[in-house]
Amino acid sequence: MTDLVKHKLDVIENADPFGRSGIDDPWHAFRNVERLDMELHFQFKHSLGKVSPFFLALEEKRLLATRCPECGKVWMPPRVHCGDDLAITDWVEVAGTGILEASSLSAYTLTTGGGKDTLILGYVTLEGTDTAMLQQIRNCQDPGKLVPGTVMTVKWATEPVDHPMQLFWFELAD
Amino acid sequence: MSAGEDIVVLGGGLTRFARERSDGTPIDWMVEAALDGIRDAGVDPAEIEHSLVAYESEILARQLSMGQVIQDALAFCPRPSIRVEAGGGTGGAAIRTAYAYVKSGLCDSILVVGCDAVGRGVTSATVREVYALSGDVDFEMAAGGFFMAYYALMMQEHIRLYGTTEEQMAHVSVKNHRNAQSNPMACMPMAITIDDVLNSPPVVAPYKRLDCAVLADGASSLVIATESWARQHASSWRDRPRVYLTGVGCGTDRVRLGDRPKPYPGLAHFRAKKEAAQMAYRMAGIENPRQDLDVAEVADTYTGAELQAYEDLGFCDYGQSGPLTERGVFDLGGELPTNTSGGLIGQGAPPGAMGLAQAVEVLKQLRGECPKERQVEGARRGLTDIHGGTASFSVVSILERRD
Repeated sequence: MTDLVKHKLDVIENADPFGRSGIDDPWHAFRNVERLDMELHFQFKHSLGKVSPFFLALEEKRLLATRCPECGKVWMPPRVHCGDDLAITDWVEVAGTGILEASSLSAYTLTTGGGKDTLILGYVTLEGTDTAMLQQIRNCQDPGKLVPGTVMTVKWATEPVDHPMQLFWFELAD
Repeated sequence: MSAGEDIVVLGGGLTRFARERSDGTPIDWMVEAALDGIRDAGVDPAEIEHSLVAYESEILARQLSMGQVIQDALAFCPRPSIRVEAGGGTGGAAIRTAYAYVKSGLCDSILVVGCDAVGRGVTSATVREVYALSGDVDFEMAAGGFFMAYYALMMQEHIRLYGTTEEQMAHVSVKNHRNAQSNPMACMPMAITIDDVLNSPPVVAPYKRLDCAVLADGASSLVIATESWARQHASSWRDRPRVYLTGVGCGTDRVRLGDRPKPYPGLAHFRAKKEAAQMAYRMAGIENPRQDLDVAEVADTYTGAELQAYEDLGFCDYGQSGPLTERGVFDLGGELPTNTSGGLIGQGAPPGAMGLAQAVEVLKQLRGECPKERQVEGARRGLTDIHGGTASFSVVSILERRD
């Protein structure tokens, strides 16, 4: 018989998870369950907000952090107001080298992260900043070399990417 | 309505946690758990004055406004209701909110029911992507970050600082899977060895598959009330041990690990958990947690997270969680049995339900109602610890038996 419901996936006759049957199963009349294939699609015009100058500067191979005018702390990733004293911050350009704080080799990725089979993520404190930034570490054949304290350097994408954060990554410094 | 009274945990209910509950919807499971908790409390559901619905993700549940839907399903209309969300810490936030509602006199009794639908009905890639939205979206998620990786980075730092070993982490997995074997509600009861954990497929270093809690479908519930309401409305009041909610602490931390102050918490520690624990301990009069507590359900999203939690909960000094775990201090029969239910690793991890499920386990431990394989004899005081994000939000609760 032709299935009249296009998205019907299956009908499952479930057993009681505790092994009860018949009238001993309080839900015995409700054990046949139909499942459907279901997809939800979301699409947004996503604003990157007040920190957009950071993302736009990446297209020019520049790294912009923010400095608090009150306490002097340099935030990277940037914050539009200081995370400690709430003062509105100033943009400062920082160098593309820094110190590795921690790293981890992952067998999984998010599709938004580039969809590669494996991925190394690391926290790096860039020179002249006071906080650590998460980013991908690429072109490292030996993850054993990624010990905390190692000097890392920024490399820049030359091909178009989907998201500004994919415009750069870290590699071991020469 | 009477503000300031002592607060009682009258009942707790669970559905079975499973990798996939194809036998119903999240609404079905929440009703099952609520009915179980109401029955356990020995009260007439028509008498309960308020409800609180705890769940994390409308998207994954494919249902917005779950609080209103459950209120309808449970025949609670037109009584008041509130919905609570705090990521993985949702259940803890629910307990603390319920405490505040009842303690303040806003109501004298409240049904708390929690759920999430993150089992195999949704692909794990979708779950990872949706959950990444609960962290930093524009910098860290966009760089490829996701929660499993953040936890792994924390543990790499813990290993560097203290020499914590993957064998010590594996001990947590063995313990929690073993404890789950006597829990019919658990989805991952397993008899495994340290080598099984160490040889399981790598996920995100240092974590292997058996170091990780499994996302599950499931629901849980609590009935919380003032002592006078309980005395008047609960048929079980005179016949069963009474369990009180004596401490509910909460703490927070910066969302991005790299923004957290150094050296503490740095990457390796849960500052929010320490704040929550100290608050709860002050309320409950606990000075030496390892000595003053008899049982604990600790957030074990990953094996290493349980070790980190021991330290910030004050169960031991920093760097000592691994060696003490190897010595069996946190095993059944040890000094402070932890995650006797199996925890998130053994029982399963539906975010909105898991914090409440911890309290259900501690409630039953304190009443002496657990199966003998996992009953902690003479347990009088227990702790639950649950958090959201990388403990950017954390709640610690203390339950206490008073005869």
